[in-house]
Amino acid sequence: MVRAALAQKRNIGQGPLPGARFVPAISVIFASLLTALPIVSTSGWYPDFGFLVLISWRLLRADAWPAWWAAPLGFFNDLMTGHPLGFSVALWTASMLVLDLVDRRTMWRGYWLEWALATLLLFGNETAEWRIAQIMGASLPFATIIPPLLIAALAFPVFAWLAARLDRWRLGR
Amino acid sequence: MVLLGLSLVAPKSYAAVRGVALDATAPVTSGLREVTATVGGIFTGAGNYWDAAHQNARLKRERELMLQRIIEAKAISLENRELKATLQLREHSRAPVAMGRVVGSSFSSPRRYAIFSAGTSDGVRVGMPVRTAQGLIGRVIDTGALASRVLLVSDRASIIPARILRSGQPIISQGRGDGTIDLRPLEVGRNPFKPGDIVITSGTGGLYPPLVPIARVVRLDDDGAIALPLADPASTSFAMVEEPYEPEAVAEEAGGSTDTQ
Repeated sequence: MVRAALAQKRNIGQGPLPGARFVPAISVIFASLLTALPIVSTSGWYPDFGFLVLISWRLLRADAWPAWWAAPLGFFNDLMTGHPLGFSVALWTASMLVLDLVDRRTMWRGYWLEWALATLLLFGNETAEWRIAQIMGASLPFATIIPPLLIAALAFPVFAWLAARLDRWRLGR
Repeated sequence: MVLLGLSLVAPKSYAAVRGVALDATAPVTSGLREVTATVGGIFTGAGNYWDAAHQNARLKRERELMLQRIIEAKAISLENRELKATLQLREHSRAPVAMGRVVGSSFSSPRRYAIFSAGTSDGVRVGMPVRTAQGLIGRVIDTGALASRVLLVSDRASIIPARILRSGQPIISQGRGDGTIDLRPLEVGRNPFKPGDIVITSGTGGLYPPLVPIARVVRLDDDGAIALPLADPASTSFAMVEEPYEPEAVAEEAGGSTDTQ
């Protein structure tokens, strides 16, 4: 065993980064901060960047962060995006729980299955947004969630790729 | 979940926290806004060069028409001033509370909010109308010390009493959440709209000042019309916050209900 370890070709100084366990959370915070970009959207069809990065990480690995971190991250997202406070807290925590269940139930995982799961979660997100808007006095036809949902679902592979790249970078592989 | 419930039932309770968050991001947003404005300007500028000759001819024609209109309008405003003087009509002074920029907006939600670069330190308060030279932008719903959040006219919860400029018929304008506005006549009957109609505020309700342009009709549907806002928050540089038209009426309404958010 010792000999095998010695024989292995290792790159010195290529271990995980010092704060590797915080990288996923920090990337979610950065994604939430994207709303501070000075882009004025009249249609509101931009995806919810924080949520996309969150589920990308969570689908990539189950141990990206302790599940409860979703709550403070969601709180930060609420502050940045102007959702009613508590919206992302509840939704993101629920998403973590759902994905924990899914992890236990699914026999196998693959690219298409992850995409489908992400689309389902995004659908949940858009529906919740629509419902909350309705409760707060802005009842829109349900069909209005379709364009943002499509855009978010098509944007998911990009964010999944980004999460994978960040993961390899933080672990020094 | 409890937090969400609280912010639904009592939207005011977290105003301070949200104000701080607004202030924290506003400087970044305002700084970068210059960059996007420039980039946006380059693209539309290039588009304008595309058929410059044609556009030039059209603009000259429009200018001739405009000159005539201006003279007419001057005559009318003179007449108006004289008539008002004879009636001794009490006019409010319409000095703006603050000038600022529309620096950002909500990205993903079905709600249409914009971030405005003036806050309580400039005298901005919740409920004040925001407008540009082109038309109405919306009203303030959240304030921080340096920035505020504006409910755009294209938001679903933004319901504005309005009139058709051509006929003066009273209508209701309500946003559709995707950058357009739904117009409904108050009286049931024949569809009063024509494509190209300009819609202005009527001043009813006391929040928005009268005679501010809101939108232009682009399409008719069964009993109303769909319109585009005249003041595009994505391309306006400066906007101003004004006092509510009749502050007493608005205060009364705000005391009675909490649906200002």
